[in-house]
Amino acid sequence: MIAWLNTRSPRPWWALALLASLLAAWIPLAPILAPLVRVDRLAEMLDGRTALLLWRSIWMSTGAGLVAFLTGWPYAIIACRLRFPGAGIFKLLMPLPLLLPPLMVAQAWFGLTGMTGAWASVFTFGVCYAPLPALLTARSLQHQSASAHETALLIGPRFAISEMLRISFLPALIGACFAFLFAATDFAVPDYFATVGDLFHVYAAEIFGNSRNYDYTAGATSSLPLVLLGFLVLLGTANLQRRQMNFETMHGRTAAPLPLRSGRYLSLGICLVLLVVLLIAPLGRIVYETGMQGELSTRSWSEVSSAAFHDAVTRGRDDVIRTLSYSGLAGFLCLILAPLWAHLLLKSRSAWRLLLMIFLTLPLLVPSVALGFGSILMFNQPWLENFYNSIWLPALLVTGRFLPIAVWILAERMGRIPEAQEDAAALAGCGYLTRLFRYRLGPIRSAWWLTAGLVVAFGVRELDFAILLPAANQSAAVRYYNALHFSRDNFVAAYGLVLALILFLPVMLSAWWRNLQTKEA
Amino acid sequence: MARVPAPKSTFPNGNKLALRSLSRHGTGLATFPMMLRLSPALLLPLFLVACSGETPDLVVYCALDQDLSEPLIQEFETRTGLTVRTQFDVERNKTVGLVNRILAEAENNPHCDVFWNNEIAHTLRLQQAGLTLPYLSPSAEGIPASFRDADGHWTGFAARARVILYRTDADLPVPRKLDDFLDPTFAKHGAMAAPLTGTTLTNAAVMTEQRGRQEMLDWFSAVEAAGLHFGSGNADVMRRTQSGDFHWCFTDTDDAAKAIDAGYPVAVRYLEQGDGDTGALLIPNTLAILNSGKNVDAAKKFADFILSFETEARLAHSISRQIPLHAGALIPDGVGKPGKDFEMMDVDWVAVAASIGDLAIELQEAFVR
Repeated sequence: MIAWLNTRSPRPWWALALLASLLAAWIPLAPILAPLVRVDRLAEMLDGRTALLLWRSIWMSTGAGLVAFLTGWPYAIIACRLRFPGAGIFKLLMPLPLLLPPLMVAQAWFGLTGMTGAWASVFTFGVCYAPLPALLTARSLQHQSASAHETALLIGPRFAISEMLRISFLPALIGACFAFLFAATDFAVPDYFATVGDLFHVYAAEIFGNSRNYDYTAGATSSLPLVLLGFLVLLGTANLQRRQMNFETMHGRTAAPLPLRSGRYLSLGICLVLLVVLLIAPLGRIVYETGMQGELSTRSWSEVSSAAFHDAVTRGRDDVIRTLSYSGLAGFLCLILAPLWAHLLLKSRSAWRLLLMIFLTLPLLVPSVALGFGSILMFNQPWLENFYNSIWLPALLVTGRFLPIAVWILAERMGRIPEAQEDAAALAGCGYLTRLFRYRLGPIRSAWWLTAGLVVAFGVRELDFAILLPAANQSAAVRYYNALHFSRDNFVAAYGLVLALILFLPVMLSAWWRNLQTKEA
Repeated sequence: MARVPAPKSTFPNGNKLALRSLSRHGTGLATFPMMLRLSPALLLPLFLVACSGETPDLVVYCALDQDLSEPLIQEFETRTGLTVRTQFDVERNKTVGLVNRILAEAENNPHCDVFWNNEIAHTLRLQQAGLTLPYLSPSAEGIPASFRDADGHWTGFAARARVILYRTDADLPVPRKLDDFLDPTFAKHGAMAAPLTGTTLTNAAVMTEQRGRQEMLDWFSAVEAAGLHFGSGNADVMRRTQSGDFHWCFTDTDDAAKAIDAGYPVAVRYLEQGDGDTGALLIPNTLAILNSGKNVDAAKKFADFILSFETEARLAHSISRQIPLHAGALIPDGVGKPGKDFEMMDVDWVAVAASIGDLAIELQEAFVR
C-alpha cells in the first residue's frame, strides 16, 4: 500500500490535485459558467453608470495595493533584516492585521479620525492587507544567502541595502497584487464609508445587488469584468513570480540581520509608527468600543466591556468551534494539495501552465455568493444529503476558493529550491512523495505552514457562501456580521478581538516554541 | 508537460542515509510522507463521522436577528424535546439570501420546514411560487386579518414600524409626514437608507402602490435634491444620528430602540405615511410552513409556539421592541401602541410583493452609482 502510494511518477498525484480542484471548485461553478460568459447580457448591463463603478473599483484597489506595498514592504525589511530592540516582536505581530476583519478596521479608523469616502476605503484596505506584501517580503529575505549578503556588505552597506531591496521588491509587489484582488471584490468597507460620509459605490456592490435579485445568475454575468481584471492581475503576478525565481538564494547559510549603531532607534521608531498604523491604533479603538456607551448610560465602561466579552465567549463559542472545524479541515486539505499543485505548475510548459492557472484561479475570482448557489444546485441531491449537511461541503469550498493563494505562494518558494536535489533523489530511487515533501518542501516548511494558515484565516472570514451552506450557516462570520448590522457594537468589538486572538494564538505559540528550541540549542 | 525522470535506484537498497545528506533541512520532515500516507486513514473516519450527523426534527430558516430568535427556538426545543436545525440570514442579504436558497434547494431536495421571515414581501413571493402550506394556527387568533393570509399560507406577528429617530438635544424641526422630506429645512439635517434592500425597499414598494412608480422615483430624486442624505442601511443611519452627525433619520423601531437603550439622547416619532397623511407603516415578521417540508407536524407545533401571545410579548420586551399584533397584548413602556400612539396604514401586501422584484432592479440603477 505504502509503496503504491509513494509511486515514482508524479502523474497520479497531479491527477489527484486536478480532481480535487474539479470537485471543490469547478463542480460548484458549473451552474454559473453559462451566465458568466453571457456577453450579450453583459453588454446590456454595462453603461455609463457601471463603467464609472468599475473605474472607481480599479483606482481604489490600485490605491489599496499601493498603500499595502508602502507599509508592508519597509516594515518587513526593517523587522526582518535589521537588528534593533524588539525586532522579534515586530516580526511576530506582522500577520496580525490580516486577522482583523476589514469592516472592523474601517469602523475603528472612522471612530479615531472621522475619515470617510473612497480614500478612507483605500487606506483601510491598504492597512488590512499590508501583511501580504510584508509576509512575502519576510519570506524572501529569510532565505537571502549569507555569502551573497556578506559579499555585498564588503562592497558597502548601501549596496547591501540595495540588494535587500532588489530581492524583496518583487515578492512585495506580488503581495500588493493580492491586496488589489481582495480590495476589488470587497464592497462592505466602501459601503460603510459611504454610510458615514457621502454615498458612493464600487463595482462589487453592483455584483452583490444583482446576485441578491430574484435572478441571481445576473450576479455571475455582471462579475465578468472583475473576473477578467483579476485574471489579468494574476497573469502579471505570475510573470513577477517567474522573474523572482531568478534570485536563487537557497545555498548555504541564511543571512543574519544587519547590526545597527545609530540607526537602531530610527528603525525602532519607523517600525513602531507602522505598527501603530497597521495594528495598535485600530486594535486600541476596538478595545475601547467593547465598552462604549451613550452619554445617558449609567453603566461603566468596564461593566459593559466585560459583559460584551462574556457574551462573545458564551454565545459565539459553538460558532467559533464550527468555523474552525471546517476552516481547519480546509487548511489540512491545502497542506496536501497545494504542494502537488505548485509542483505541477513548476513542471508544466508555459501553454499548459496558462491553462492550469485559469483552472486553478478562476474560483478565486468569481463572486463567492455565486459559488454558494452553484454548490446548492450541484450538491443538494437526495443521495448526497449527509454530505450536503456536513462540514465537508464548506471545507471543500474554502479549499477550492483559497487554494490558489496557497499554491501561488508555495510555487514561488518551491521554484527557488535547486532542481538538482529533486533529480538526485529521483536518481536514488525515491518515490514522488518523498521527493516532493522531503526535498522540495523540507527547506520551505515555514512557507508551507503559512499557506495553510492563510487558508484557515480566509476560511474563518468567509461570509457570502458560508451563509448558504447548512454546516457553515451558524459560523463566526455570520454571527459577527449579524451583530454588526444589528448595532451590537460592544459585542462586535469583543467578538472580533476573541476571533483575532484565537487565530493568532498558533502563530504566537509556534514563535515561542521556536525561540525555546533556539535557546536550548 | 515535462516528465520527472524516474530511473531505478543506482544506490544499493536505495540508500536513504545518503539521500538525507542532499538536503540539510530534509530530515525535519522525515515523518511527513508517512503522515501523508496515513491521511486517507485519518480523513476517511472524519468524513464518515461528519456525514453521519443526526437528522433534526425540524428545519427552520430564520431571517430575524439571531440574538432574538435563537433563545426562542432553544425554548421551543426544551419544551417539546424536538431538535431544530436553524439557518440564519445576514442582515446585508435582507432575507433574499434565504428565499433564494429555499428556491434553489426546492429544485432538487428541499430542506426547509418553516420560514420565519423578518418582513412580509418575500414570504408572499414564496406563496406566489406555490411553496407554502396553508395552516391556520390557533395561536394566531387575535392578530388582525390584514396581517394574516385568509387561507393560512402565512401569518404576520411582532411588527416593526417605520419611524423618525431624532435627537432631543437640538432644537431643529423633525418631519411628521413623508412629504416633509421634500422641504430642505427638514431634509438637510436628516438621513435614510438607500431604498435597495430590507424595510426601506419595502417602504418604496408601498409608496409605488400609493403613488405610482414614476412619482415614487421622482420623490426620491426630489428629497435628494432637497439635501436628504442616503446611507447603506437603517442601522447605519441610526448610528450616525446617535453620534450626532444628523438630527434625525428615517429608520425602523428596532434600530431606534437600540439607540435609546444605549443611552443616547434620542426619541421616536411615528411617521404618517397613509392616505390623507395618517397611518404609520408596520412591517410584521411572518411565518410560513413550506409544503415541501418533511416535518409538517413539528412545523405546526413550531408555528403555534412562535405565533403565540407569549412569544409576541417576549419580542416586545426584547432589545428590538417588536410591536405585538395580538389584540390586547401586553405592551411594555417605550413600545408604541397601535391605535393609541399611532394609526396603522392599510397596505395591499400582495401588490407590494408582486412589484418589489422589478423595483429593486430599478432602484439599484438609481442608487448604486
